[in-house]
Amino acid sequence: MRRLPLAERPNWRQRADECGFAFHTIGGEPYWDETHCYAFTLAQIEEDIEAPTEKLHDMALDLVDDVLRDESLLRQLDIPAAYWDWIAESWRRRDPHLYGRMDLAYAGRGPAKLLELNYDTPTSLFEAAFFQWQWLDDHMAAGTFPLATDQFNSIYESLVEAFGTIAKDLQRPLYFAAVRDSAEDQGTIDYLRDCAVQAGIECAAIAIEDIGVTDDGRYTDLDDRAIGTLCKLYPLEDLFREPFGQYLPSAGMQLLEPPWKAVLSNKGILPLLWQRHHGHPNLLEAHFDDGNGPLPPGWVRKPLHSREGANVRIHLPDGRSEEAAGPYAGPQIRQAFHPLPRFGDDNVVLGSWVVGDRACGIGLRADRSVITRDSARFIPHVILADDGGVFEA
Amino acid sequence: MKRSSHIALVLMGTSPLLLTACSRESADEGLYTSAQACIEQTNDSYSCNQAFEQAQREYAQAAPQYATREECVAAHGADQCQVVRQQQGSSIFMPMMAGYIMGRMLSGNRVSGLAGTPAFRDRAGGFQRPVAGANGVYRAGSLGRPAMAPVQMAANQKPTASRGGFGGQGSQRSSGG
Repeated sequence: MRRLPLAERPNWRQRADECGFAFHTIGGEPYWDETHCYAFTLAQIEEDIEAPTEKLHDMALDLVDDVLRDESLLRQLDIPAAYWDWIAESWRRRDPHLYGRMDLAYAGRGPAKLLELNYDTPTSLFEAAFFQWQWLDDHMAAGTFPLATDQFNSIYESLVEAFGTIAKDLQRPLYFAAVRDSAEDQGTIDYLRDCAVQAGIECAAIAIEDIGVTDDGRYTDLDDRAIGTLCKLYPLEDLFREPFGQYLPSAGMQLLEPPWKAVLSNKGILPLLWQRHHGHPNLLEAHFDDGNGPLPPGWVRKPLHSREGANVRIHLPDGRSEEAAGPYAGPQIRQAFHPLPRFGDDNVVLGSWVVGDRACGIGLRADRSVITRDSARFIPHVILADDGGVFEA
Repeated sequence: MKRSSHIALVLMGTSPLLLTACSRESADEGLYTSAQACIEQTNDSYSCNQAFEQAQREYAQAAPQYATREECVAAHGADQCQVVRQQQGSSIFMPMMAGYIMGRMLSGNRVSGLAGTPAFRDRAGGFQRPVAGANGVYRAGSLGRPAMAPVQMAANQKPTASRGGFGGQGSQRSSGG
């Protein structure tokens, strides 16, 4: 894993406009950053990232069954009791799932360490699947990289294939929904819908705020039609706690990601994985944490439902502390601190995508702070032979 | 390749986009019912044999599995199904490898990459192949069945010798939109 400085494509903003990538700059700060990239060897990708991702994915899916059979675990994961049967039923039916992203700490050697699973509302999808691919293609066309340069990124093909596979199992009409005013979420949900259309699925879009409920507790679109399946980029645990959540178990609306993802989109999965696979090379020690005692050096405290690093507190081994502000409260876990690789001022986290049940690509995020937050920039990557001899920047 | 061979957008952006992987290499694929039939069509005995052996190695992973002979016969036809004993003593049914697909990456006249994939008969007597690796995106037995796709090409044909004889004007316009 090497950092390679690189000239930006002179027309990359125009390229972004062409494909509707509206959030490449957020609040005046760059989010898409192609002033450099990271290069991996094929062995690093296949042995250190792809294979462990699939292994960790299998371990996580194996846990769903255990959790859904055990009320004390459901309580420990802070899943509201009103939804237990509905979630268990969705697992018994094996309601189809689409995707997830696991965040790994990996510095180019040694085992990648699982930091967390983003298995309900993973973002950075469009930039990983599409814009990163196009970036490499433009550079190959311009001669910056040899034509045979590769990238770990079959995310697009995997998404279209996965939609094609589950199409028959999705109730119609199918709606894609995200928060109306989030450019990033709208861009991501548009991309998912684009892939569904390419798989031949007829579908529509609705803002999550526009969903209605009938007198008899059915969810409806703006024409009062019942929604068959809602593919939502909106946290399950938020749906549970909002006023319309009470109708979920009886409304007959299918969800994508399905209700059983509530078990996996929960940081409580980290101590549970550690309990079952104590000492596994790709896991970090983790425990449930009541949040009362002091956090010892070398540990990280995370709320069960935090996203984008919010409310994560790190007590570094050298005694310094870092904490990210945020809205998340409630039960927490603590996880052994494991440093992210540092390149210059950047701490780099590796997001490894699973579509269907297959590891199919990565996206890197870089942040000046030790905690990777929503400010982290997206940095593209390539696969090159490890001697670096083919690279001419 | 660890990378999508192409990407496309149909809804997003200012106009429909279809981008094809930028590559001077060309690929050809052929469906053959035996290594001998492959050699007769391509005169490339090394590639034909290598691809055939690879297809045989992938067979156990790539072949669909059925709990009963009836299910297997319904999907692949009566003379195609064989019983396979599992280590635990149970039996499953799998279609035989009825042919294989040889994929060659060509840089000029040189073969730079080679792949062999098993092919199976479908119910109608056509051929089908596993989609995207051994098991599609959903792993068999856990959350889905291996995805199979029909093979459109006819068996034991001469491979395409060159492409690009039409459309040279079109390629000078950007396909990026």
